[in-house]
Amino acid sequence: MSEVPILGVDRLVKHFPTKAGVVRAVDDITFDVSMGDTLGLVGESGSGKTTTAQCVLGIYPPTSGRIAFEGAPIGVMFNRRNRELKRKIRIVFQDPGSSLNPKRTIKQILSVPLKVHGMGTPRERLSMMSRLLEMVELPPAEYLYKHPQAIGGGEKQMVAIARALATNPRFIVLDEPTSALDVSVQGKIINLLMRLAEELDLTYLFITHDLSLMRNVATRVAIMYLGKLCEIARTEEFFRSPLHPYTKMLLSSIPVVSAEEEELKPSKIVSQGEIPSPVDVPPGCSFHLRCPEKMPVCSQRDPEMRPLGDGHVVRCHLFGEPSGGSAPGDLE
Amino acid sequence: MDRLLAIKDLHVGFRIFEGHLRVLNGVHLDVKEGERVGLVGETGCGKTTTVKSVLRVLPMPPSEITGGEIIYKGKDILTMTRRQMAMLRRHELTAIFQDPLQSLNPVFTVGTQLRDIVKDSAIGRKHRLTRRDVEARCLQALRETGMPDPERIMTNYPAQLSGGMRQRICIAEALSTNANLLLADEPTTNLDVTIQDQILRKLDELVEEKGASVVVITHSMGVVRDLTQRVNIMYAGAIVETGDTRTLLETPKHPYTRGLMASVPKLTGEGISEGIPGRIPNYLDPPAGCRFHPRCEHCMEICTSTSPPFYETGDEQSVACYLYRRES
Repeated sequence: MSEVPILGVDRLVKHFPTKAGVVRAVDDITFDVSMGDTLGLVGESGSGKTTTAQCVLGIYPPTSGRIAFEGAPIGVMFNRRNRELKRKIRIVFQDPGSSLNPKRTIKQILSVPLKVHGMGTPRERLSMMSRLLEMVELPPAEYLYKHPQAIGGGEKQMVAIARALATNPRFIVLDEPTSALDVSVQGKIINLLMRLAEELDLTYLFITHDLSLMRNVATRVAIMYLGKLCEIARTEEFFRSPLHPYTKMLLSSIPVVSAEEEELKPSKIVSQGEIPSPVDVPPGCSFHLRCPEKMPVCSQRDPEMRPLGDGHVVRCHLFGEPSGGSAPGDLE
Repeated sequence: MDRLLAIKDLHVGFRIFEGHLRVLNGVHLDVKEGERVGLVGETGCGKTTTVKSVLRVLPMPPSEITGGEIIYKGKDILTMTRRQMAMLRRHELTAIFQDPLQSLNPVFTVGTQLRDIVKDSAIGRKHRLTRRDVEARCLQALRETGMPDPERIMTNYPAQLSGGMRQRICIAEALSTNANLLLADEPTTNLDVTIQDQILRKLDELVEEKGASVVVITHSMGVVRDLTQRVNIMYAGAIVETGDTRTLLETPKHPYTRGLMASVPKLTGEGISEGIPGRIPNYLDPPAGCRFHPRCEHCMEICTSTSPPFYETGDEQSVACYLYRRES
């Protein structure tokens, strides 16, 4: 890992004013992604994962807070960013069925980023596109002139990945790239992404709701709940000793397929309640209504992010409270 | 245990402009009294078509059942009259579908829909339900699924409720009629893991309590392991492997099942396999013989011409694959 993180997000806030009140989609989150890392951003639907990603991409301007890419602040809208920045940060969306234009051939789809960024002459572009398709293991002769509807879901997602790679990016946001696909296809896409990361020295922000997938893919995992981060840790550490009660609830809720895995889950925490509406966030810690280890302080004060060493950060009153909280070591 | 439902050699096709889609290609499925059976497979392998054939809710045309029988309690569902079928749906069969937004009517309140179901299920029974009975049964059903404040929920429209709540309502509707066989078609696919966990636990409890048999359709191996005793793996319109859930997940035999199990991301963090090459066949022109053979690494001469029968591999596990043929 290098010293300067490729992406730094500092106290990012994104609120959406609506008629029903202010939706606090992202509420004061701080994290950074080091070069070559894969940060897994995990959370339930409505927890603000995608909004975070869209702020990074500049689809939304942040309400407050700073986003820095390679040390330079980038907290502005997409249309105010320079082309170089747009070249470096790319995204792959969840559903390739709706992110690829059904009326265009794959060649047309892939040529757009090349044209926009003025890469190559028209003649060179054809060979660039062939190379892109080869990178994602699709034979160019067969696929270049097909329409998206003529190919399978996994292949569509590979085209979407090729499109993201077209501009030689440094950083790719993967917004649930495999959740619309079957497991047998997912394996192929994930392995492809991992190999590309190594070959092209890419850094990923991997958004997903699948923790078992993150165990195999991410180098660090961050858990989001109601617009806030609960816990960040390196992957092994995270799965070996999850600390936040929400993380434990999530982990113990995963349906697993073998007895070996069953042993790796924390002791059963019965999940209760649902994620509250982000318009009406409960006071204090937003998780306290569902938390099995609730204390009186939880409904009054929102806990701070507390580093516990080795990059493990937790936001919970159970840990490191100056006034009589238990030390992280002697839990359970 | 007595056999409650037996699907034998079911063939279902769809006539479309391009030709004849041969989707179900000889499905065999048994459900015993009080048993919980899983049906697992990838998108487009015919899981939902199978369930819809049992309920006889496939739109015809374009679909047509070209062969096989579905025996429920000794009678063939496929030859029943419309009236018999209606009675069967009222009293015996019930279903939960994947997307509660599609199975709940957006313009009626939850109460209206739930009352209709309870009233309808009482037709043909000895006991007549008074209006008060109906109300009580509805509230009871909602309460059983762990819904807070059922009186208020009854006056809500589906759009006013969250995804987890809507799915609970579908479960309440399905279980309010005391049916014998519950067909759950991907009941938790659209939900978050913590909500999925709650719903599965509730479903588990209620089914236990009422002693119903269940067929759960899913593509999640984990859900099957939590919920069922026996599992059937389906590929391209046929069951390829069946057996006791835990045994089968630990020792998958069919090359397809093995590929599938290797592709599931695991908490042990041993990496993910490359998956299974190729994709599900085109039903307009499916491969002859075993439909998995173009994707199979153990493909033999015989696989390309005749489809394999089931071979017992012990422990009540049987596999439709020539690899397990015993030399005679």
